[in-house]
Amino acid sequence: MVFLGVTVIIYLAVFALPGDPIRAFLGPKQVPESTIDALRVKYHLNDPIWVQYWDYISGIFRGDFGTNFAGRPVADQMSARWPVTIALGLTAWVMEIVAGVAIGIVSALRKGKWLDYSLLAFTVLASCIPVFVMGLVAQLIFGVKLGWLPVAGVAEGWPRSYLLPAAIIAVFGLPAVSRLVRGAMVESLEAESVTMLRAHGMSEGRIIGVHVLRNSLIPASTYLATDLGYLLGGSVIIEGIFNLPGVGNLMFEAIKAHEGTTVVGVATALIVVFLLTSLLIELLHALLDPRIRRSRSHV
Amino acid sequence: MKTNRTTAVMSASCALALTLALAACGGGGGDPAPTGSGTPSADSAITVGIATVDHLTPGNQETAYDVLLPLFAPLVSIDETGQVSYVQAESIDSSDGITWTVKLRDGWTFHNGEKVTADSYINAWNHAAYGPNAWINNFELAPIAGYAEMQGEAPAAEALSGLSKVDDTTFTVELSVADRQFPLQLSDAQTAFYPMPAAAFEDLDAYDVNPIGNGPFQMTEPWDVAGQGDIVLAAYPDYAGDKPAISQINYKIYIDIATAYTDALAGTLDVANVAGSKTAVAREDFGDRFMPLDAPSVDWLGFNPDDPRFDDIRVRQALSMAIDREAVNDAIFSGSQVPATSLTSPNMPGNPDGICGEYCEFHPDQAKELLAQAGGLEGSVEVLFVGGWGQEDMFEALATQLSQNLGIEAVATPSTDFADFQARRDAGQYSLLRGHWGALYASQQNTLRAAFTADGLGNNATFYSNPEVDALINEADSAPTLEAAYEGYVKVQERILADFPTIPTFANRFLWVTSERIDTMPSTQGSPFYARITLK
Repeated sequence: MVFLGVTVIIYLAVFALPGDPIRAFLGPKQVPESTIDALRVKYHLNDPIWVQYWDYISGIFRGDFGTNFAGRPVADQMSARWPVTIALGLTAWVMEIVAGVAIGIVSALRKGKWLDYSLLAFTVLASCIPVFVMGLVAQLIFGVKLGWLPVAGVAEGWPRSYLLPAAIIAVFGLPAVSRLVRGAMVESLEAESVTMLRAHGMSEGRIIGVHVLRNSLIPASTYLATDLGYLLGGSVIIEGIFNLPGVGNLMFEAIKAHEGTTVVGVATALIVVFLLTSLLIELLHALLDPRIRRSRSHV
Repeated sequence: MKTNRTTAVMSASCALALTLALAACGGGGGDPAPTGSGTPSADSAITVGIATVDHLTPGNQETAYDVLLPLFAPLVSIDETGQVSYVQAESIDSSDGITWTVKLRDGWTFHNGEKVTADSYINAWNHAAYGPNAWINNFELAPIAGYAEMQGEAPAAEALSGLSKVDDTTFTVELSVADRQFPLQLSDAQTAFYPMPAAAFEDLDAYDVNPIGNGPFQMTEPWDVAGQGDIVLAAYPDYAGDKPAISQINYKIYIDIATAYTDALAGTLDVANVAGSKTAVAREDFGDRFMPLDAPSVDWLGFNPDDPRFDDIRVRQALSMAIDREAVNDAIFSGSQVPATSLTSPNMPGNPDGICGEYCEFHPDQAKELLAQAGGLEGSVEVLFVGGWGQEDMFEALATQLSQNLGIEAVATPSTDFADFQARRDAGQYSLLRGHWGALYASQQNTLRAAFTADGLGNNATFYSNPEVDALINEADSAPTLEAAYEGYVKVQERILADFPTIPTFANRFLWVTSERIDTMPSTQGSPFYARITLK
């Protein structure tokens, strides 16, 4: 039911976009009306919207995601594009976790010192730079001047082709992750339990590594799981600048061309991804906080 | 939903296992392995950056010209100097300009070994001309007799009545009206006139990603369109024409063509296209490896036909004379475009450069005087253009010229996209609007017919037609020699300019940058002849 409702809404939204879909698809090409009419007939665009929707949805139940206006299967497009977006999203996500948590820990341990403030300033300022500016500058420095990484494209595969764009995406998540970790950690460090552990003579490293950090990751993990869902939706700008044929751009082009079949297909798949990441949040919480696990098992 | 769910579940499990084995997940689920990467790159391989490609079927492509050019040998080719030569054709003759006999060179083959015959042409042209197939270059076949009967939802005919086979390597083409320019229409960029082998029609979907041509290069493997993989061509060893000096052409597809420039800077690309606004930077970055190529396209400003303020020809002429085209060209394009002096591109053979005369020159005082004589221009003048195409600067400069030099209130108004531009145009929500025509072959005929006759595809930015002009065009088209035809087109341009229906602004140059490996890069109508590139 959820699936049907969502597809109806998205399908209608695409249908409601201003302008003729075939004209939007053809772009600047000047084509006579007779050819535009023939294309409309070919892709059943003259049928009533409900007939078009029924054709589409009944196709899906037969495992057919329909075709785009170039006559190519949407399913092929999605299965070719998701891996790129997933590789990019996960790489960015890991960078965000590693760097964000590290900055959070250091800031918490140096609370109120210059390092705390300068890390705050650095993460916030960096994330304020427009993404295309950072993308272009990074390409010029690491791709053109230093030649360490490819400027764009996926030709060199994972990880080399994905490091630069993923790092830029990660920068935008750093302030939130590091602040959440820092905040929770400062709180835990000041908790009575920690004072107790110190009094028992436990080493500072063990206190932080085992007791403080674990408790401090819960708020950040909620944010990170939501962020993962967002990352797997693809980024139009980053994919464009770095020429990564991912799902963000597929969606962008499909909306521009009013390709209902592609838009609904990708959007529905995205909803599934979001549902799964919510599940992930729950699992992570249970993993980090034994109280949640226990209270669940008692229910 | 099965496919998606599997993908999504896979991603989630990857995420869980992530910190332990990122590389495994990335390698398994993340590496799209572009099709071209497996091909060994010989020393004489070049890499070219192009924008996204739609179809690779010549009759049905909009953006694949760069790829098709080395894959196919056209009947006729036109080089950068306007020199016309036969390629697949041995001769194309007509005594009356209506019935043309096309003789093919014998012994030429498609990449699958099939002979190139009269049928290869007749079948391909019929398929493109058949309306219900909805091939987007269908209109190129329009001059051939029987085209009209093949359009509509249930056409009366399935084949062009104007085509008939004489023998294996000869066929005749009958046109609806006499046209001496017809051989030029069979040149490089009119891809609907390319031949297709019999094998193509067995599976047109497969052909669309793995076209079999008759040119100097062939596909190495089907194009991975879904993954936007590279398109890799290798020299076709049995090509009967001029052998290329390079062995392989690797086309990299760019979602955002601006990225190709950065890749060219890094030396990843040997050839890349550059936007006009980047001229100054490109000149500095690439020096003499920055190449502006004369293109067959022109820009103009059209007038709203329903706006009575532009009814007086003096107003239209005054607006044109108030624009300092040189200054706009220098400021916006660093001088890389060509200020217009005629209705067609100076790149066209026999083009009457300067025929527009003083009305296309900058005479601000004369313009003011002329406008005053005509009673001035009240209210706001809105210049409508297509937003998001990087032309904001040019149109703002043009509007500023009009405001400053005539003391009128001109504003440049962008649309949100091309569909919106068309909608606003059709609704008449503008005073002046962007006009542009890119000719597909080197004849003034193409631009004049497209923009200044009622049925022309570019008429939606001039709204101009005149029975006298139609008659003059027909006369020039049927002129017995090319020279006589050129004289005829001069008369056409004179007659149109007497009505001054548009403000010609610029003739275009397409801009390219190359790597240090490239020695020479011959071109046709603004596009590189990739197959004829030579390396140092």
